[in-house]
Parts: sequence; structure tokens; C-alpha cells
Amino acid sequence: MTENLVSSKLVCVALNDTTQRAAMAAAFTDAPYKQAPTQPVLYYKPRNTWNTHGQVVPWAIGGDGGAADAMVVGGSLGVVIGKTACRVSAEQALSYVQGYTLVADYSLPEVSYYRPDIRGKCQDGTAPVGPQVTTADAITDPDALEVLVHVNGACQSHFPLSRLHDNVANIIAKLSHIMTLQPGEVIATGFCGERTPVQPGDTVAIEIGAIGTLVNTLGERAA
Amino acid sequence: MRHARIKHNDRVLKVTLDETDQLLDTNGQPLGLHANDEGFEWLSPVAEPGTIFALGLNYADHASELAFEPPKEPLVFLKHANCITGHKQTSYRPDNIDFQHYECELVAVIGKTGKHIQREDALDYVAGYTICNDFAIRDYLENYYRPNLRVKSRDSLMPLGPWLVDRDDVPDVSDLRLTTHVNGELTQEGTTRDMIFDVPFLIEYLSATMTLNPGDMIATGTPKGLKDMQPGDVVRCEVERIGALETRIVSEQTYYGTHY
Repeated sequence: MTENLVSSKLVCVALNDTTQRAAMAAAFTDAPYKQAPTQPVLYYKPRNTWNTHGQVVPWAIGGDGGAADAMVVGGSLGVVIGKTACRVSAEQALSYVQGYTLVADYSLPEVSYYRPDIRGKCQDGTAPVGPQVTTADAITDPDALEVLVHVNGACQSHFPLSRLHDNVANIIAKLSHIMTLQPGEVIATGFCGERTPVQPGDTVAIEIGAIGTLVNTLGERAA
Repeated sequence: MRHARIKHNDRVLKVTLDETDQLLDTNGQPLGLHANDEGFEWLSPVAEPGTIFALGLNYADHASELAFEPPKEPLVFLKHANCITGHKQTSYRPDNIDFQHYECELVAVIGKTGKHIQREDALDYVAGYTICNDFAIRDYLENYYRPNLRVKSRDSLMPLGPWLVDRDDVPDVSDLRLTTHVNGELTQEGTTRDMIFDVPFLIEYLSATMTLNPGDMIATGTPKGLKDMQPGDVVRCEVERIGALETRIVSEQTYYGTHY
């Protein structure tokens, strides 16, 4: 079993895919949203969700207490903070990065973004991070990376980070004005808006060429 | 028993308090310090905060004050340890905002790992209770994962303490009076009797899909009575049988100093 790479917190950014935001432009103006987000849409994956490369991701529990009907996965670049970042500018932000890794966010399907989605996003073992950290000096431009999601060997999602609405440096800077970021904390900077459906027993590989491949297997539906 | 953590002469100490509010060391010996003394700093009573669950709209009167229907399912959001400060510490008011309000809340601190916990067994998993002030910056509300992290997960905006009271010392938390005073004036008053979802319900609800661990906390929401805060204000959140948590508001510049 590989080491847990997350220290203290794992923050994820939703709705950070320009293609998804364009598709949702009309929905953003309707209730309950009423206007498009003006700031990064953030959520935590708390410590009970943290998981590692090669491990099983338990199949989620649904609203009735039985096995969930459906699950999806998104893959993201994971920024690992290297030194305390408090109110840093976008220009300086990347100098606070120790390195980069991969974050997989397994969840119930994203039905609504209105309320915090605790049941959907915070189930045990649904946030594998890894397999290792690639030091920042090896990645000259994180916004030029691409995230691939493979399910049982077939590529199901291809997300170039040029599609991020807020790029990596902007996310770090904006987040650091809300909360001081500490070494070892991880930020998942954005996912393909269209999450990938998964089934019990599937093997999922999240890949960024310059960083590595994070592989996990879905557990079976609990009886 | 009441358990606290303090910083005294640059050392972090675990202490308990006797019935006269004298601080005792881990051997029960007096430290020569009284809770009202100024010569030490109060820290978070929870040494290693885990996941912080907080409840929105969990008092019917507060929900109506904000023009919301009381929820049919708990409105739970997460906070992080970066928000926590101790008793008699400072919290900051961000620049250029119109409305920052306190929220006096009873906090249940988890003491034992569990999942699929039944309501009848729920209190077995509680180590004790403390108080938090779950500040909110209403200007920053947006309708995405509301209340969003920019409103609720800011540095210093969750004072916690002063101490943790053992669960068995408060056998019934279902009718405790909550009050908030700002600069000595009573501004918020309620009772935990008016909670929509009580502590046993919340433990059953959360543990249905998540493993709860020692150090996790559930901040159970706040009753009616919002008031804007300004730098210089002193806010005191009190829960009957638990204690009183005091916080002084400072400006963003004062709080961040050289990082401003």
C-alpha cells in the first residue's frame, strides 16, 4: 500500500471547465443559481475519503442506505503545496508548489451544485491521490497538461487543462486569499465537466503523461 | 471534567479546570493559573481537529429569519482547521464587506471511530461538547455549494472553546440555552430544544455514508439573532452548562500583518 500523500486537506474545484460552463450558461441564470459563479466553486474531500494508488474504491451508498445506483469519476491535476501560501498573487503562486500529482474524485453523479454535496462527494475512500509527486521543476507549464480517464483500458475522457476557467496559478492565488495553504495540502484544480460513469469492478486509470497514472478498482455493490 | 489546551511560557499544555476555574496540569496539580488570568493563550481544545461538519438552517427561527423554509434533510457543509482559533483570540473582518455575523453553536466532538451508527448508540461516539462561533461573510454567498467555502472556510473565523466538557457531564444537550452578547449587549438568544436535527440524528445521518473519527466535530447550527460585526467588537457566545467563548474582531490588515 502506498503512502497517503495528503496532509491536512484536499480541496477540489468544480465547474472549472470552460466547455461545461458554456453548456450551462443558460442554467446558471435560472433558479437556484440565478447567476454564473464569480469565484472558484470549491469543495473538500475530507480525510475519510482519502485513498491511494492501487486500492479499492468502495461502491457508494445511496440515499436509501443501500448501494448507490450510479457512480462517476473525474480526474484532476493535484497541486501539492510546498511552503505556506497566504494571500499570494497569481504571478507568484507556482513558486509555492512543491510538485504535482493526480487526484481522482469518485462520487455520486453531479446532479446539482446548489448545496454542498456531502453524500455525493464525501463517501469513504473516494479520493485516491498519487501515485507519487512529480517535483514542480519538472513541469514548466501545468496549464499545458492533459488529463485522461481510462476505464477498463478504454479512454473515456480527455481534458486539456487549457480548458480550465481559472488556471492553476489563479486557483492557488484565489484559494490562498480565503485560507492559508500549508505544506502537503493538495488542490485538485479542475475536472472535465462531463464526469465518467463507472460500474462495480471497473478498473480506472487517471493519467497525465508527465506525472503518471493513478489506478484504482471499484468495489462491488454491498449486499 | 473540562479539558483545555493553553500556551504558557511558549509551551503547549493540556489542562483541566476545577470547579473554581483553576487550571490543573495532567497530574491534577494546580498550575497557579485561573481561567480569568491574562498570562496565557487559549488554544483549540481539540488538539487534532479532523473533519468539521457544520449545519446550516438547523433552527427553525433562524431559517425563517433568512427567508428559508426549514430543511427536510440536514444542510451540512464542511469547514477546515484553518478556521479554528481559541478563546479570547481574534477573528478578522474582511475589507469592503457589508455584513459579517456570528453564529453561536453547540459543537459535539467525536471520540470514537464509527460508521452506520444508530441513533440510540450515537452518544457513545461523542467525547464531549464545546462551543464555536461559526462566523459568516454574507457578501460572499453564491448559489454554488452554498454556503460556499469563501463564506465559511476562512482563516480565524471559527473560534472554538474555551474547553471540552466531557459528554457524561452534560447528560442532556437537548435543552441548553444559547446566548450571544456583542460588547455586553444581548443580541442572540435561543435553546437547543429548537434544533431541527439533534446530535443523535446527525451522527446517524452522517455515519450512514461516512466513517466518523476522533477529532471530527459537528457544529450544530445557530438560532435567530444576526448582527453585523466591526473591528473592535467583542462577541461572547455562551451555551448553558458548557461555557462562554469570547472573540475580538480585528481588521483584515491587523490580522494578516506582513501578509496583508
